[in-house]
This record gives sequence, structure tokens and C-alpha cells, in this order.
Amino acid sequence: MTASIKPLNFTICAECKTSKARVGKMELPHGVVDTPVFMPVGTQGTLKGILPEQLEKLDLQIMLANTYHLGSKPGVDVLKKAGGLHKFMNWNKNLLTDSGGFQMVSLLKLAEITEAGVKFESLNEQKSEVMLTPEHSIEIQNAIGADIIMQLDDVVKTTNPDKERIEVSVHRTTRWLDRCLKAHNRQHDQSLFPIVQGTLYEDLREVSAKDLIQREVNGYAIGGLSGGESKDDFWKMVFLSAKLLPKNKPRYLMGVGFAIDLVVCCALGVDMFDCVFPTRTARFGCGLIRSGQLNLRSSKYKKDFKPIDEDCDCSTCQNYTRAYLHCIVTNIPVACHLLTIHNVSFQLRLMKDIRNSVSENTFPEFVADFMLKNYPKKDYPNWIKESLAKVNISLHQ
Amino acid sequence: MKFLVEKLSKCAPRLGILKELHGQPNTTLQTPLVMLHTQGGQVPHITHEVMKLVSKNLHILQIPLVSVYNFKEAMDYFDGAISEFIGDGESICCLTLQDPSNLTQQGFHSKGKVPIWTKNGKVYYDSRTYMDTVQSFKPDMYHLLSDGDTNLSSPQKRLTKAVDNTISFHKECLEIHRNSKNLKNCLVIAPVAGGYSIPHRKNCLDNILLDDQEVGGYLIDGLHNNGPEVEFIPFVEIQPIVEFIIKNVPPSKLRAIQGCWNPLIIIKLVKLGVDVFDTSYCRVLTERSAAMTFPIDITEDITPYEINLRQLRYIDDFQPILNGCQCPACLKYSRGYIHHLLSVQELLGPILIMIHNIHHFLRFFEKIRDCVAKDTLDELESRMEIHFQRYQQEILLPQKEPVVNDNIY
Repeated sequence: MTASIKPLNFTICAECKTSKARVGKMELPHGVVDTPVFMPVGTQGTLKGILPEQLEKLDLQIMLANTYHLGSKPGVDVLKKAGGLHKFMNWNKNLLTDSGGFQMVSLLKLAEITEAGVKFESLNEQKSEVMLTPEHSIEIQNAIGADIIMQLDDVVKTTNPDKERIEVSVHRTTRWLDRCLKAHNRQHDQSLFPIVQGTLYEDLREVSAKDLIQREVNGYAIGGLSGGESKDDFWKMVFLSAKLLPKNKPRYLMGVGFAIDLVVCCALGVDMFDCVFPTRTARFGCGLIRSGQLNLRSSKYKKDFKPIDEDCDCSTCQNYTRAYLHCIVTNIPVACHLLTIHNVSFQLRLMKDIRNSVSENTFPEFVADFMLKNYPKKDYPNWIKESLAKVNISLHQ
Repeated sequence: MKFLVEKLSKCAPRLGILKELHGQPNTTLQTPLVMLHTQGGQVPHITHEVMKLVSKNLHILQIPLVSVYNFKEAMDYFDGAISEFIGDGESICCLTLQDPSNLTQQGFHSKGKVPIWTKNGKVYYDSRTYMDTVQSFKPDMYHLLSDGDTNLSSPQKRLTKAVDNTISFHKECLEIHRNSKNLKNCLVIAPVAGGYSIPHRKNCLDNILLDDQEVGGYLIDGLHNNGPEVEFIPFVEIQPIVEFIIKNVPPSKLRAIQGCWNPLIIIKLVKLGVDVFDTSYCRVLTERSAAMTFPIDITEDITPYEINLRQLRYIDDFQPILNGCQCPACLKYSRGYIHHLLSVQELLGPILIMIHNIHHFLRFFEKIRDCVAKDTLDELESRMEIHFQRYQQEILLPQKEPVVNDNIY
């Protein structure tokens, strides 16, 4: 297989001379993705009230969809008839799908994990027992046709301290990876990413990563985090996992999307992120800004005729004031569309600024300025100081 | 803003233009026209940004006070008009009282006041508080305060009160209007109240026509209490009242009517000389997951009047809502995708249906103007009569067609 027909070509364009941050280009079947990248989540084949045309205008290059949801509705048959999700939803840029395993465990109380797969009671009228196996997950993901797909992994709650159970999950995840790779029949246009497990145990993370990097794949995900663990544990695991993964392949940290976490994790060498946070918080009436977020339901915006963010060039900030958004927020669905446009645009602009500063070799200053904006009293949390110090970035004192 | 009609006819279809919009002599709109019905200053489900993908033309936004009454506090401090505040400074805004797409609760009258039913409950307006709001919103046109809470079954006493209230609101509001600098270039629409009683309508007209010089147009008010039921009001019921009002208002003035009238009734009203309608019918259809598919041009295929995209038959139907339609929803999305969005209750479902419905309705009004110009409105009417009758027969049948179930999750 020559490089040109691989479904993922990753090139590192610039590296930060101080930290582990890097800027890359990921060439995928539906266009180039500039990394580090944030991928908004379009769970059911749509991003909360936004037309794909609008997303393209925001220069969105990749979004995520959820296998569990799409496998239930519209289902594999309809997706196959439609010619895959890209065509079904009219999205000509890239897509990434998860394996569905995380939703099983997080949404369904009755999930039971065995060597065969994840067994759960279906929520349809029949209440039948359904088994999601690695093979079945890949079958659905092949039908969806996303440009990057995920292996089914054995998900253990991050806060579960049972090391024996976690060790089982690490080895099972590797075995399931092999089953996924075997079942995957669209190697030419879909890249399957393994997922590093091991929750908060360094030795188990090491075992997991070392097993996984022996398989021939185009990129890796870091899983088992962002599940309620302390930030002190979180950053150490991200740092370690990124270090263990090969430098020439993209690293995807699953479920992370707060601006501060994005900045820190880019410094630790992560290339891809996803999170429902920006779109979910929009539905609750919150607009993101560099120093945090505005709750537009608050009456303090009643007479505030500034846009959400004066530096933002999204259509919402160009056309609407905080006072107007305050008047309509949670009253009419359109308010949610307007905030979602802004929040997605905010995330994309943050990532662009990160990429530019790495390329211009000013990333350490960018990080320091960014943190000062969020902590104007310089009362930085310890985990931020420590994690950034680990990659040689010092904050404004 | 000025209104000019081609022919000073009574009870006949007519073409006209609204000109000097925003004080610009070259910006004009043709009548008969349809205002874009809004809630909170936006077409339901569609942001102004998306609306511009549907139509790049200038439109009048119909802004029901009931959906924007809470903007007043901000507007008092805002340096600009309501069109700018809602984020579409280029649009023409017409402030009205009730929302034609929602059923207005009846009753709760109080002397000299009208109740509106907001999200936060009942709010009373009298002439002073209403005109305070109008002055602070600075719309391009607005309805004077009126008591339109009448319908076919209103008793005499209610009709008399509605007319008395409307006359005194009319006088009081105009008095304030006269002395307002903010409203100097604002077009005034005077509602005519009185339900289905000619004597009451006459009494109302006799009084308000005294101020005709200050009024730019008349609203045929008090025929219904808004909401989806208006779709099925028979034309024969409203015809005598509409005819009476149109015969008695000066033909040089704009004639407006509100509500989700179906396309057949709209054609009949245009034939009587009504100039202004609204798109609330598009919202009513969208909320029942229905897309308008009735043919507009004679050259178009015979298609059903509307299709309900919740029906399971659309699950793997990858055609557009309406073949040949050039709206952004039909150009890129399928019935199957919209069916999926509806079945998982995603926001994009009603957005796509509304995009199509608004586009279709705007096309329908273009066709009406074209037919008036070519004197072929009768043909359009007889074709629409067939479509609408077939549709009415269909909805009377017990529902056999399975629709998607909301509660699978």
C-alpha cells in the first residue's frame, strides 16, 4: 500500500520548541484537517440546529457522530441505502464515529461486559437482550462510513479503583482491537483507531499503549479519562499516554473540550479532541468567551448591547447583542441555534490561535496570556502549573 | 412609507406597491404580499442568517407584541429600531398585537385594556402602555391597539364591547402617534373590529374613518382567535364581512388580514382586494411535521397538497420533499433524512421543513401577483380548489398511515 492511497496521511508542519505541542495536517478522504483540532459532536447525524452549509462556512473540517444512536435510528439498513452518513446528512467534510461502547456503559444501567462484547437490554418495545460485539460495532461503523472509526473498547469507570478489573479491560481492549481490525472491511477509506486504556494506573497505561502500537493503524485515541477523575490525575495520564504513542501519528484525546483543558493538552502533545460541552452549554443559554462563559439568562445582560465576544467574527456576534440574546434565550429554539453557531465558532478559533502560535513559535506566550485571562489574580490551580511546568511553560507571575 | 395601488377598485384583485421603505425612494415591495411571521423577532425555527439562504429579497417581518413584549426594557435604552435589535436591520418591521399562529385565549377583558398571553402569563395593555412600546420599538409600520377578541359565535354584548374598545383605542393611540417624533414616518394600520355583525362593523368604520388621513391601511380584525383552526374557516362565513369592509374603506389604502388562512382562501381574499397576509400558516404546517407540496404552476406535476414527514413510508425515501423545488432544503436533503431528524426529535427537522414551507409560500405569492397581472387568478383558484378539496377529504378519513413513534428511546 503506497502512502497516497492510505485513508489518513499525517504530516507534522511545526513543533513548539518549548513544549510538546505540534501543528499537523491530516489528509482524510473528505479533505484536510488541521491539527490540533476540536471536533464538535453531531450525535444523531446533525449538529444541534445548524445546517451543514453553515458549518462549512465556519470552516469546520471534521465532526463526530455516535454509532450507538445511529445504529438504533435510522439503523444500518437505511444508512446503507442512503450511501452512508455523509450523503444522508449532506456533509461533505470528514466524520469520525465512536464505537458505541461508551454510550452502552454510560446510558444503560443494565450493560454487562463479557469477553464476547457488551450485553445490554434494548430500550425498544421488545426489551430484548442485545449484544454489541467488536465485529458488530465495526459493521455499523462501516455502514456509517466515517473517515475515522473507533475500536470497541472495554470501558471501566475512570473512578473505579479495582486494578484487577482495569487490567482485564486493558488486555481485553487489545483483543477486541484485533477482532475489530479483522472485521473492518473498508481499510481503504476508513482509519480505525485503537484506544489506550488503563484509567489512572501508569503501569497499565504503559502496557496498553505498548500493545496497541504494535498494530498497524493510522492514529490512536486516549480513552478512559474525562470521567470524573481529579485534574491532577488527568493531566499526568494524558502526558504519559501521549509520550508512549508514536510521534508520527495523530493522538486523539476523547471527551475533552473545555478551553483550559484544550490549551493544556495541546501543550502535552495531543492532536484531536471532541466534546459535547460547547453545543450542550449553548442549549442551556451559555455563550463561550476566552475567559470563561456568559450565562445569557442572567438579568445583568438586559441592557448589554455588546456582542457575546467583541473579537469573534461569527454571524451571531456580528448581528446580535447580549441584550437581545438575553430576551430570547430558552424562549425560542432559534436562540439555541444562534448560541451554538457562536460556541462552535469559538472552539474553532481557539484551535486556530493555538495552531498559529505554535507555527509562529509563540505558543508558550500564548498559553501564559490565555491562563492570565482566565486567572487574572494569578491564582492558577496547581494542576495547570504542574502540567505546564512539565512541558517547560511558565505562567505570568 | 407609502402605498400606491394600480387601480382604485373595490372587491377586485389589485396590484400595488409599498414604497419609500426606510425612507429610501427606490426600495419597494409589491402587493399582494405576505409578511414573514416571527416569534421573538425570528421566523420560527429559522435564524435571519438561514432565512437569507431561503430568500434574498426584502421582506416585512410581522412582529407580534405577544412574543416580544419583554424586549421593552432593553429597547428603552437601545439606540436603534426593533429591526436592528432583532439582528436584521435591513428588514421592514410591522408590529402587531397577537400571534396569528397561536390560539389566543378568550375573555379576561378589562375596561380600556386588552390582555395578551405571554410565556409568563397575562399582560394587560392600554393605549398608553401600548404606544409607549410602539415608540420605543420604532417599527416601520404597526397596528393600532384593538379588541379583536370576537369570532362567529360572539354574543352581541361582546361585539359591542369589542367595537367600543377598538374605537377608543383608535382615538387614544392616534392622539399619541400625532405627538410622537419617533413615529413620524411610521405607517399606521387601523384594525376594524366587530366580529360577524355588519351593524357593528359599520359602527366601527363610521368612527375610525373620520381619521382616515392619518391612517395608511386597515386591518380586517376580529374574525377569529388565531391559531391552527383558522385554516378551516369556510370562506362563505367571512365573505360578507370582508366585502363590507373593503367596500367601505377608501380604495387607496392598504387592506390587511391576519391568520393562518389556507392557500385557497388566500386566493379568494386577494380576489376581494386584500393586499397583506402573513406566513403563520407555514408554522402551523411545520409544527405538524407537514411540508407543502401543492403544485403552483400549471406545468408542475400533480402532487399531494401536503406530505407528513413523520409517516413511516418516508424512512428510506431519498427524494427531496418536492421534486424540482429550488429551496435549500430540497436541493440537498431527503425526505428520509428529515424523517430521521423528526423521529429523534432533532432541531434540524423542523428547520428544514420550515425552510421549504416558507420558500413554497413565497413562491405561491409570486404566482398570485403574476396571475393578478395577467388576469388569470380564476384559473389558479379552480386548480387550488381541487387540491384543497382532495386534501380536506383525506384528512376526514381515519388515519391509516403509521407514523413514527416518539417513545422508542
